Amino acid sequence: MTVIKGYCHINKEDCWVNGKPVLAKTDDPEYSWLRQIYNFVGLSYPKFHKMDQLAQAGVLALALLKHEGDLPMDYSEEGVDLVLANRHASAGSDLRFQASYADHAAPSPALFVYTLPNIVLGEIAIQQKWYGDHIFVVLPAFDPDFFIQYAQRHIQQGCQAVIGGWLEVTDTETDVFLFLAEAEESTGKGGSLPLAAINELYRQPMPSISKL
Amino acid sequence: MIYIGAETMISPLGSTTEENWSALKENRSGISWVAGAGLHHQGLFLARFHPIEKDRRFTSLLYEGMQQVALKLDPSIMLSARTQVVVSATKGAVDTDIRDPFGGVFNKFKTHFGLAHQPIVVSNACISGVQAINFGDELVGAGQFDQVIVIGVDLITDFVVNGFQSLYAVSDKPCRPFDAARKGITLGEGCAAVVVGNDRSIFAEAPLELLAGSSSNDANHISGPSRTGEGLVRAVRRTLMRQGCQPEDIDLVSAHGTATLYNDEMEAIAFNRLGLQECPTLSLKGYFGHTLGCAGVLETAATMQMMRHGLMVRSEGFENLGTSKPLPILTENCKGPINTFIKTASGFGGGNAALIVRKL
Repeated sequence: MTVIKGYCHINKEDCWVNGKPVLAKTDDPEYSWLRQIYNFVGLSYPKFHKMDQLAQAGVLALALLKHEGDLPMDYSEEGVDLVLANRHASAGSDLRFQASYADHAAPSPALFVYTLPNIVLGEIAIQQKWYGDHIFVVLPAFDPDFFIQYAQRHIQQGCQAVIGGWLEVTDTETDVFLFLAEAEESTGKGGSLPLAAINELYRQPMPSISKL
Repeated sequence: MIYIGAETMISPLGSTTEENWSALKENRSGISWVAGAGLHHQGLFLARFHPIEKDRRFTSLLYEGMQQVALKLDPSIMLSARTQVVVSATKGAVDTDIRDPFGGVFNKFKTHFGLAHQPIVVSNACISGVQAINFGDELVGAGQFDQVIVIGVDLITDFVVNGFQSLYAVSDKPCRPFDAARKGITLGEGCAAVVVGNDRSIFAEAPLELLAGSSSNDANHISGPSRTGEGLVRAVRRTLMRQGCQPEDIDLVSAHGTATLYNDEMEAIAFNRLGLQECPTLSLKGYFGHTLGCAGVLETAATMQMMRHGLMVRSEGFENLGTSKPLPILTENCKGPINTFIKTASGFGGGNAALIVRKL
């Protein structure tokens, strides 16, 4: 049996870890919302600042899950398989790159390298030194069965953990959901939620924290 | 056993698998000079469809590929609830619908072909195609589907031309994988499909055996290959181990071979570390250009054709070895049985993937 050890959400206003509110956006003129989360989780990772929003959101969700979810994630180098998905691939960065060369301006190579949705997988692999199997897929909508089946298959094949999630970050939408699954008999820290509950976890009600 | 067959190729070399194979065995390249195609309207070498003969865009090409692959299968397969379609692509319709590049895959496509399920898009830069075939194997192997149609599509657009030119990654001559004079990639476009399944009888032509593999990240850099070939070594090693194969079992390496300085050097290092340095090796980029998300499917399909015809084609564009480690790059067409080949891919985001195909 495969179980969920922890999960987290980032939406436009709040961060939630394991169904509990942990951070609300403030009207700080100095720091963007993603930067506020970066400060909150205490990351010190200069590469973060050159990433696009999709990659930043992935790295931040992982940090939230690790620190707020109290998951050590001390796996072997090839022990973690990653599966991320969304609906609009890298559309946000695609628009920014396109704007960089509109009106005969010079296209920006720094923007171009982020015009692929799988770059976030590379950023996570680099940060964590993980060499496992990894895949990014585009789906018409969040599909619980897709994630359940992927996690079951890969845990059965013997990987220590599957980290998966939905990562839709555009100029108008922030819908980030990340989960960590392991075999039930693993002795690691964290909870033990049935994998089948993934749809309810993804769709859990998240009233604005500032109004709680 | 998991089978792979029904390989379908649409490229500047031809609109059918047969036309593409004819061109490959005659060492014809799809690369040509295209005036005004570059960033500052300079000419560029591209492997591009002839725009006047047929205006192919992302969605129309996807439909064309699906129609062709359907003809190579039992007619009931397309409609079966046991069939899944997996699309391999990087940029979709970025030229016409940048806000929703994969809308063409999700809207109408399912009903047009009478599919039971919405397709899934695998979008992992240049390893997408190999990843998508391995993903198809996973779905069939786990019993979730009986067959997966894997279809790769990517097009040359201003978006990708500008991007690769901004990185100074585009060659001013037709690309020359693994050659000492290589100067970068030549972009290409195309559509290719293969079918992965557990029932031999669905294939109109006898299938081959798929020994699917694995992917690994370099965990090193998002746009530069690892200097040690770490991710590629791990991806190939895991693939060999999983399938109980030894490097000596491989008759042909169908490499990624983009013709950038660093990529080809990285591959040479990796293949030497893996003990594959004596295995005949080729890159198909000199024929098709770099077709990005389509490449893994197109090049697997083309190498399957070599296996069926018992002919390894020359690695187009190669004359003198330009890597620090030796590799037996094919300089001439070479007749003889190919029992087992390995296809590898490496790409942006640090991804690497491999798969093996064996003759039955």
